[in-house]
Amino acid sequence: MRHLLTFFFTVLITVKTALPQQTTFPFNGIRDDRNLTYAFKNARLFQDYQTVIDSAVLLIKEGKVIAAGKNIIIPDGTVVFDLKGMYIYPSFIDLFSGYGLSSERKPVDKRGPQFESTLKGAYGWNQAVHPETDAARLFDIDEKKAMQLQQAGFGLVLTHQQDGIARGTGALVSTALVRDNKAIVKDSAAAFLSYDKGSSTQEYPGSLMGAHALLRQTYLDAQWYAAGGKEKEFNLSLDAWNRISKFPVVFDARDKYEALMASRLANEYNQRYLIKTGGDEYQRLDEIAKTKMPLIVPLNFPEAYDVTDPYDALNVSLRELKHWETAPANPFFIAQANIPFALTTHGLKDPKEFLPALRKAVKYGLSKADALKALTETPASFMGIENIAGALKPGMRADFFIATDDIFKDDAIITEHWTQGERNIHQTVPPADLRGTWSLKIQSFPDQKLTIKDKWHAPKATVREDTTDINATVSFKNEFINLRYESKAKKQIGTILLTATVTPATPDKLSGSALLPGGSTVIWSALRTETYRDTIKKDTTAKDSIYFGKILYPNSAYGFENLPAQEDVLFRNATVWTCEKEGILENTDVLISKGKITRIGKNLSVTGIVKIIDATGKHLSPGIIDEHSHIAVIGNVNECTHASSAEVRIGDVLNPEDMNIYRQLAGGVTSSHLLHGSCNPIGGQTQLIKLRWGKGQDELKFENWPGYIKFALGENVKQSNWGDLNTIRYPQTRMGVEQIYVQAFTRALEYERDWKKFNDLKKKNPKAAPPRKDLELETLLEIIRSKRFITCHSYVQSEINMLMKVAESFNFRVNTFTHILEGYKVADKMKKHGAAASSFADWWAYKYEVMEAIPHNGSILNKMGIVTAFNSDDAEMARRLNQEAAKGIKYGGMSREDALKLVTLNPAIMLRISDRTGSIKVGKDADVVLWDKEPLSVYARVLQTYVDGACYYDMQRDEQLRKDAEKERQRLISKMLNEKEKGGSNARKPPVTPEEHKHCMDDEDEHF
Amino acid sequence: MKHFFFIAAVLFSIHSFSQNPVPANEQTKKILLLNGTAHLGNGTIIENAAIGFEKGNLTLVGDARVIRINPAAWDTIIKLEGKHIYPGLIALNTVIGLSEIEAVRATRDYSEVGSINPSSRSIIAYNTDSKITYTVRSNGILMAQVVPQGGLISGTSSVVELDAWNWEDAAYKTDIGIHLHWPQMEVRRSRRAPPDEDQQKRSEKDLQILNKLFEEARAYSAEKNPENTNRHLESMRGLFDGSKKLFIHAHSIRQIQAAVAFAKKHGVQMVLVGGNDAWMAASLLRENNIPVVLNRVHSLPPRPDADIQLPYKLPAMLRDSGVTFCLSNEGFWQVRNLPYQAGTAAAWGLNREEALQAVTLTPSKILGIEKTVGTLEEGKDATLIVSDGDLLEMMHSKISLAFIRGKQIDLDNVHEQLYRKYVKKYGLD
Repeated sequence: MRHLLTFFFTVLITVKTALPQQTTFPFNGIRDDRNLTYAFKNARLFQDYQTVIDSAVLLIKEGKVIAAGKNIIIPDGTVVFDLKGMYIYPSFIDLFSGYGLSSERKPVDKRGPQFESTLKGAYGWNQAVHPETDAARLFDIDEKKAMQLQQAGFGLVLTHQQDGIARGTGALVSTALVRDNKAIVKDSAAAFLSYDKGSSTQEYPGSLMGAHALLRQTYLDAQWYAAGGKEKEFNLSLDAWNRISKFPVVFDARDKYEALMASRLANEYNQRYLIKTGGDEYQRLDEIAKTKMPLIVPLNFPEAYDVTDPYDALNVSLRELKHWETAPANPFFIAQANIPFALTTHGLKDPKEFLPALRKAVKYGLSKADALKALTETPASFMGIENIAGALKPGMRADFFIATDDIFKDDAIITEHWTQGERNIHQTVPPADLRGTWSLKIQSFPDQKLTIKDKWHAPKATVREDTTDINATVSFKNEFINLRYESKAKKQIGTILLTATVTPATPDKLSGSALLPGGSTVIWSALRTETYRDTIKKDTTAKDSIYFGKILYPNSAYGFENLPAQEDVLFRNATVWTCEKEGILENTDVLISKGKITRIGKNLSVTGIVKIIDATGKHLSPGIIDEHSHIAVIGNVNECTHASSAEVRIGDVLNPEDMNIYRQLAGGVTSSHLLHGSCNPIGGQTQLIKLRWGKGQDELKFENWPGYIKFALGENVKQSNWGDLNTIRYPQTRMGVEQIYVQAFTRALEYERDWKKFNDLKKKNPKAAPPRKDLELETLLEIIRSKRFITCHSYVQSEINMLMKVAESFNFRVNTFTHILEGYKVADKMKKHGAAASSFADWWAYKYEVMEAIPHNGSILNKMGIVTAFNSDDAEMARRLNQEAAKGIKYGGMSREDALKLVTLNPAIMLRISDRTGSIKVGKDADVVLWDKEPLSVYARVLQTYVDGACYYDMQRDEQLRKDAEKERQRLISKMLNEKEKGGSNARKPPVTPEEHKHCMDDEDEHF
Repeated sequence: MKHFFFIAAVLFSIHSFSQNPVPANEQTKKILLLNGTAHLGNGTIIENAAIGFEKGNLTLVGDARVIRINPAAWDTIIKLEGKHIYPGLIALNTVIGLSEIEAVRATRDYSEVGSINPSSRSIIAYNTDSKITYTVRSNGILMAQVVPQGGLISGTSSVVELDAWNWEDAAYKTDIGIHLHWPQMEVRRSRRAPPDEDQQKRSEKDLQILNKLFEEARAYSAEKNPENTNRHLESMRGLFDGSKKLFIHAHSIRQIQAAVAFAKKHGVQMVLVGGNDAWMAASLLRENNIPVVLNRVHSLPPRPDADIQLPYKLPAMLRDSGVTFCLSNEGFWQVRNLPYQAGTAAAWGLNREEALQAVTLTPSKILGIEKTVGTLEEGKDATLIVSDGDLLEMMHSKISLAFIRGKQIDLDNVHEQLYRKYVKKYGLD
């Protein structure tokens, strides 16, 4: 930012010394450059967000402020405006605008997948990455939008093409109605990034995690390009990326989690982003504050739904209700947390909504000074232009607006907006304050009383005829006042029109002509007999109407006000399913302390503060571990677009608010392995989480875990059931699947070799150009080097066998086959290879490749000595994996001990976490479940679930949370109803938003 | 007197691989099941039961400690100490025999073109040679309602026995009900959902189509010999003379209320299928004597704020409010888990016999076949199963015997065959 400032100073000086007429444009006619000085006196001047000067003078010339303050001498030859009673504010600055750029998108008729960019020219490979886009080149003043922005207070905006992942540069432009050349204050003022591929028709990226991975790889590609890659490939996009890397970067995050993701990306590449947020930051404020990234905050407060029909009300979730209530306080919370932030009009349908939204934010606690700062000094400093914009100090841009009142008052109106020293009138106001009582004389009428009252700039009037007051409409145009009323006097029934000129020098006198109902014109005049006395109205914006419920974690039903803490708990006299060689221990005590299982035994004596739970007749089991899950993921779980997407990471896109986390805790699940889907042979990197409901993205992650990757075989990767359009992507047969693997691992080894070569070469030649760092190949290399482990979606025996052979030929092992429904046919080979199996208990017949799936699969594999698990792949089934485990007894006759291990110890072993969880053993994490009956019973219910010794689910507390949520819902729904009665008459009916129920093939259909 | 101890393995071993078992012959011998615990399906348990049947009918249902048994009167006496006897389960709302491989179009036979298909009859497409059926019946499900899917009116369902040479053989009661899938009444938002207005228009249009259809079908049914016959309207005659029921598949409270009003308006006998929100409409359903066929108990709650165990608790909630309900397990292969849907309902409020009733007696009533099946009562069909342990518990339910109208059916299936094949390969036995 430092050198940016210097750059701006240079610009400033250049402008100052150059005379405005010295431009390149030829002129037709007699030049009319005036270069006058303008003075604005008697106004209340906000020189900056915190300096208010009453009865100030503002002097401007040639688009710049010359002087501002009290006791300023107005030089001769100055055009003077008397702004008594008016307010002057420095123009607002919006850093997230699309002003003056076309947002039109061509409709696309796409049949079948598109793997390559359709953009012609020497650009980069991905259509959504176009850093070469330059808003300054596309900018064209949009008069209508300019006027709207001015009316909302904005004089400067940072505009950019809001399309794509790397969107190129934005231009800082004025909302002045001048030649385009003059409106651009600075081209390339900032670079823009997002996760939204926008109008790109190319397949990749097909998921949020794919967009994140694409940005990662682009940073690396750009480094490679700068370090010599250019010799190998000329690339306008990478070239532009490097060229604009010196500018501030604005990241368009659509919600709090994207904001956090973006900040992580920034940290990875030593960047500091300005993050445009989604308006829900208050829900994860501590984490947002910790990122230390400045924010650009929208005022996109949700509208109330029409919930007059109680059945409609059912469709609004507590999450939505709470957000509706609290969102207007978001800027307040951000200011409270001392996070530097600017405000933007983005997210509003129309700039007209901006001032009302801003006033709402102020009613919800944001201080006026903070609000002004976020619209002036802060955005200016974010752009390094705080010395030329954002305040009205000598030498700064003469960008300001004049308002009839404190801009935070509901009825304040912007009458004029001066941009670059040019006047733009938005609202005609009377030439003088005419309020008061007048004696009205219309020729041949008796004297009448005229009262002008209310707001001086938009007054109301009444005329007294006999004893009744008749309302008259008042309007102003230039120096004229027009009064119109319906007379009821005898002989004069009908409309009377009065017109007069207003002379500010003699404001107590009016005279002009009147048009009478008969059509005759007569003379009228009026004299002010009494001036208007403002009756002080009560502030209706009193704080009593502002209330919002407590913020919960997550901010929805079943969210916690305070997260569960680790407890020391003694389970007294339980039946303990250890899942260790001790088997099932009757009448046994288990002590957990500081998140660990510390003692197991009979009649344990404890000291200190220990919660004692009488577990007589109850059963204690290890927490259930789901080896195959797709819950808690934001966006698509599949990056289906390429045959290999090893570079994408589920861990980038965790959704801590997925209600299924809580629901599954109620089924005894404590850890879930979140997998990429199965639509390509090499999927993405998986993420193991603990179900710490209420915690943030990072805190869900299972600590110190080696890392896995999802592979897939068979019909899904061949796109067999995707319809006739999807027959293009390689592979379409099992034969091709093998080739993809062999090629991928071969390339990974060659990649390793190339880097070795380079590292050797570098010793001799420090300037040698490095190979391209490739995140996909590095991931594959981790697999070969046994630093990352495969869990492979698999069904039929041929392909299972094939993958083992491929792995063996590269000297590594397939860690886990998941689904593995024909595992029983190659159990001997799997045993020899050393693979684990994670299966469904009894699924089959949903597609051709599972027609020989049998429910005895688990039993055979287990008997063959293979580490065997049952998984869910389904948010519903995951809630009763204990029942699925019991099917291991039904089909094939497993022992009860072995059956429970299918969902506890065995998945822990295959996930390489059995040293920490998966059984009840001293020293392991206190991930335990208390059941009312034996855990394998269909009748068993979970009473409590502990993760790391903290009770995240408790049946009784669940009931309380449900009651609380219901109460809160009722409160909010009646509040919404009141809102509707107050005038939100065009409120929409709430739609049903089906919960995402994700599976392997999420992108296409619900096959597994 | 001959004592016959049933040994499953003997029967199994005679089969070659990958063949469906041979359908059983008519019952010729008199069979007595002795000393097992009989769960009659109507809430009654007989701890030490004597269940006798001949020519396909139950001739004796009694307490072996009370009644006198003449062993000579029976050809076969099977001692069942420690085992449990239940009526064969009846699965409603299935596509058994209409779907073999879900993802393979050629094997799907449940959804006809167009949105109005009352004339489509599931019975003639019912495939007795489906491999799926044999894996379902070996878990105790002996009868099924086979239901066409898709569109507004998907077709006409029939009830089959799961042991037959052909569909005529399988048919237990044909063309019993017409299936109406109630139009969506809420605007849905999702990635692929059409615009709100389109959805609203669609919904209104669908309702108009349905009302018109039913008004016209009623008028048509009043004419015995119409000048021109109409396949759809012909098939709907039964709705107006009481010989067919209208199964309305509806889920949200708004849909349920509208569906009930619709059925009343058109004077048809309604069964509600699905009914996620049925608990909210309990009094309406009770007052109008509308029974509910619940879809899977093993479901996620219908709304994010809902009680997280709502689908588990729903059966007990309906019992408490006096609504007639039964349980089902949509689909085809999935139907084998029907007993565990009942088990879960029992975990969350039903008692076990009530849960059993919801998959035996109540389904038979809803299908109008309660006079012959659904419970173990003298005079009814000898359609029953024997389980080693509690039928509703995964770990204990192991069906060792099954009879459909007295015919002892072979419980082998492709899964058992493949299991034996590989047990043999690895020498695991």
